[in-house]
Amino acid sequence: MSNSSTKSSTFFPEPRILPGGEKEFMMDVATSDLEISMGPQHPATHGVMKILIRADGEMVTAAQPHLGFLHRCAEKIGENVEWLQYLPYTDRYDYLASMNNNLGYSMAVEKLLGCEIPRRAQMLRTICVELNRIASALVAFGTYGLDLGAFTPFLYAFREREWLLQIFEKICGARLTYSYLRIGGVFNDAPPGWLTEVGHFCDVFEVKAQEYYDLLMVNKVFVMRTANVGVITPAQALDFGLTGPMLRGSGIDFDLRKDMPYMLYGEAWDAGAFEIPVGRGEMGTLGDCWDRIYVRVKEMTESLGIVRWCLANIEEGPVLADVGKTIKVPPGEAYVGIENPRGELGHYLVSDGGKGSSRCRVRGPSFCNLAILEDIMPGTLLADAVAIIGSTDVVIGETDR
Amino acid sequence: MLSNITTTAATTAAAAAPSENVVFHLLAEYVPEGVPGWILPIVTASISVGIVIALISVMAMGFTWLERKVSGHIQCRYGPMYAGGWHGWAQPIADGVKLLMKEDLIPIGADKALFMMAPAIVLGAIFGAFVAMPLAPDFYFADVNLGIFFILGMSSLTTIGVVMAGWSSNSKWSLYGAMREAAQVVAYEIPLGISLLVPLIVAGTFNLREASELQGDFYGMGWFVFKNPFMLPASILFFIAALAETKRAPFDLPEAESELVAGFLTEYSGIRWSFFFMEEYAAMYLMCLVASVFFFGGFESPFTYMAREQFGPNAFITNVVAASTLIVKSIAGIVLMMWVRWTLPRVRIDQVMTIGYKYLTPLALICVLGAACWEAIF
Amino acid sequence: MDFQGIYDRLKEQGAAGMQEANLPRLPDPADKKDKGRGGDPYVLVDPAQICAFMDLAKKDERLHFEILADLSASDPAVDAENFWVIYQLLSVKHRHRLMVKCSIPKSDPRIDTISGINRAAGWHERECSEMFGITFNGHPDPRNILLPDDWVGFPLRKDYEFPKEYQGISCI
Repeated sequence: MSNSSTKSSTFFPEPRILPGGEKEFMMDVATSDLEISMGPQHPATHGVMKILIRADGEMVTAAQPHLGFLHRCAEKIGENVEWLQYLPYTDRYDYLASMNNNLGYSMAVEKLLGCEIPRRAQMLRTICVELNRIASALVAFGTYGLDLGAFTPFLYAFREREWLLQIFEKICGARLTYSYLRIGGVFNDAPPGWLTEVGHFCDVFEVKAQEYYDLLMVNKVFVMRTANVGVITPAQALDFGLTGPMLRGSGIDFDLRKDMPYMLYGEAWDAGAFEIPVGRGEMGTLGDCWDRIYVRVKEMTESLGIVRWCLANIEEGPVLADVGKTIKVPPGEAYVGIENPRGELGHYLVSDGGKGSSRCRVRGPSFCNLAILEDIMPGTLLADAVAIIGSTDVVIGETDR
Repeated sequence: MLSNITTTAATTAAAAAPSENVVFHLLAEYVPEGVPGWILPIVTASISVGIVIALISVMAMGFTWLERKVSGHIQCRYGPMYAGGWHGWAQPIADGVKLLMKEDLIPIGADKALFMMAPAIVLGAIFGAFVAMPLAPDFYFADVNLGIFFILGMSSLTTIGVVMAGWSSNSKWSLYGAMREAAQVVAYEIPLGISLLVPLIVAGTFNLREASELQGDFYGMGWFVFKNPFMLPASILFFIAALAETKRAPFDLPEAESELVAGFLTEYSGIRWSFFFMEEYAAMYLMCLVASVFFFGGFESPFTYMAREQFGPNAFITNVVAASTLIVKSIAGIVLMMWVRWTLPRVRIDQVMTIGYKYLTPLALICVLGAACWEAIF
Repeated sequence: MDFQGIYDRLKEQGAAGMQEANLPRLPDPADKKDKGRGGDPYVLVDPAQICAFMDLAKKDERLHFEILADLSASDPAVDAENFWVIYQLLSVKHRHRLMVKCSIPKSDPRIDTISGINRAAGWHERECSEMFGITFNGHPDPRNILLPDDWVGFPLRKDYEFPKEYQGISCI
């Protein structure tokens, strides 16, 4: 018997005086916090991540994410392969948005090269990237429903995603790891009829996107579970360096596509092809889980606008700039951040004029977005913890790289 | 007319002692001379129990298939299509075989005895509850006078099994599931019982068979739900409470696979796991049967009425029609439960408690009060 | 603001520890071996005064770098003596970026943490320190983040030797 248990063994202890002067009578029952390890295998962690939760009953008192279960040394590999050889590895960080990853890496290398990309290639890039953004948002939306116990939206979302994957398969032969966008342009031109099918998809999906919104987003139980849960204030969001929907969910209108335009986004923005949805605290507090998922769902429609604009303005031409078989990159260093579905994907590349990069740093948006969990999870319920993890829309391939 | 019903109820009650069910009567015809009198009830009981277990197990298997089909069609897919040919009807059998073949794992730190006992208690309790459930005027296993009390009591016993399972698994997720189950069932037993008081006030009997027979007027459409304006809200309250009681979404917090991995089921595998699964479907079925009996006419319907007029009240065919009516009604209830499950997200534990204590219980009390006043006045 | 504007503003405000700006340039036609320098410009900052610099960059009205987009290090081939610590700053308000670089000696790789100024730095610094063996003075939670706690060596250093086995598991 330890001292602590023998010290207090009366059933009717002295009442504790609360700050307000009220007396609180407590039965002398020793309670202790429960330490639960959510993950590495847990349905809510979206992969192999562990979150160590200290819980007082259902209440989370502390949370600590543990990463690294899917670490694949992408950065080290980047130093050991040639410029073009590294491209397939980029597919693997955020495996739900491979096109975007390809784009980020290609743009960083192109910045070092200083080469011009043909306009048709840029159009095809934009179409693919935006379609991939939709596919990624569909997974985010579907799995978020799954996290909250609504199964059906997941199946609906995957039905549309399947069509998107088929569209990608037609243009590059792969369904998940495309390596289609490459240094200097895209791998090949779109097959005949592909652009028409994309247009058809846009028409069909516009209706569906609204349907999903009505199905889940305004569902009473869904709103009960997400509104006022996991609130991230704008100041907190900036302090933690959140980007993408996490930042916009907190009410900060910042999207790299609009504010620091790259590729053709500046043109598309000037043409009024898209808007940036921002969380407004419509159902609860600004920056709660509902706002974040709202931004993602609304973004799907905006991406459609960009795709439509590209389809209307695409013209014939070459799709790959002449960068040579072995790419020779002048020495220097470049950082390129692009707007991935989950935030800013940054590539910091250092070239010493050799065959490959001498440093290949990848800034994964999920990695930075996850850091805030330690701050916002304490004080929520266990079920809210799941809702919060889901609303960060983490892809473990990217946090661990 | 009221006196007429009371007399029929009284006569039937007098005619049948609790254990003298249809099996007893069949056996009694063929029993040879010289067999001691105590043997017959024992044999009857054994056979009846066998029938209950077989019937409910098959039903539960059927419901797993139904669940898959319903969920499939809600989600724009087909569900099982291959096993057995027609729409995958043999899928539950294939699943059952698979579950039997699976390794029966018991975690090292588990409390072995409790761990093994828990599924048995859960399943035994729910099968026990079915004993008091009449399917037709003459098809019943035991004609219990306080039938609804017995059923509610037995179905609450399953909670003990679930808590045992959660505690003995030596897993934190299981413990959470068990605690949630305990909290939830305590919260929802109250509105469940109170909302059932409303039809009990109207019926004036606790016996399910008698309550069912009372609804046979108006050509078989004299259901309790039409007899009192407070019955419809009470039936909705009962449905919600039954969802929570049977751990169905949106109240499936004890399992909550995205939060608690699988809740109290986390450490179970193979046939023991399937016992819990079967219990869930049996409990759903039980709740839907109770709802049909006390709110939606039991085995009374225009078809039952016609059969009774045509073939007489105690004819075999009348009983078959009555039993089918009850089963169809309860399956409709189950489909409704499935529909809710595949539509709504899960609510949170504090919201579950709020709904139970703050809304359902007072509303149920209001319904009881209203129904009682209505009965007293009219 | 473009890079020149940012640089001028930093100079005007007397940013602590700012040493020089490095801009990309085209190859010198006279020198055959010179390949020029591509990519982005950056400012070089004295590692001892990085905290003061970051504080200014965050709080100055015209610069307003409220987001630390990235923090990483590099073991450069061109500079065998030093590690580079690279900060990527981003201003949401003014929509501009800045790359900041610190050069710290390999013999004693330490630098002050900036997680007190930008909490985003916390995890990046943890990753950086386990990958390069750089110590961030005053870091509140200096555990490994991606690698196991008992990992030997710093994988992203150029002289890192890949282990033959890890806890009895063959790595080859």
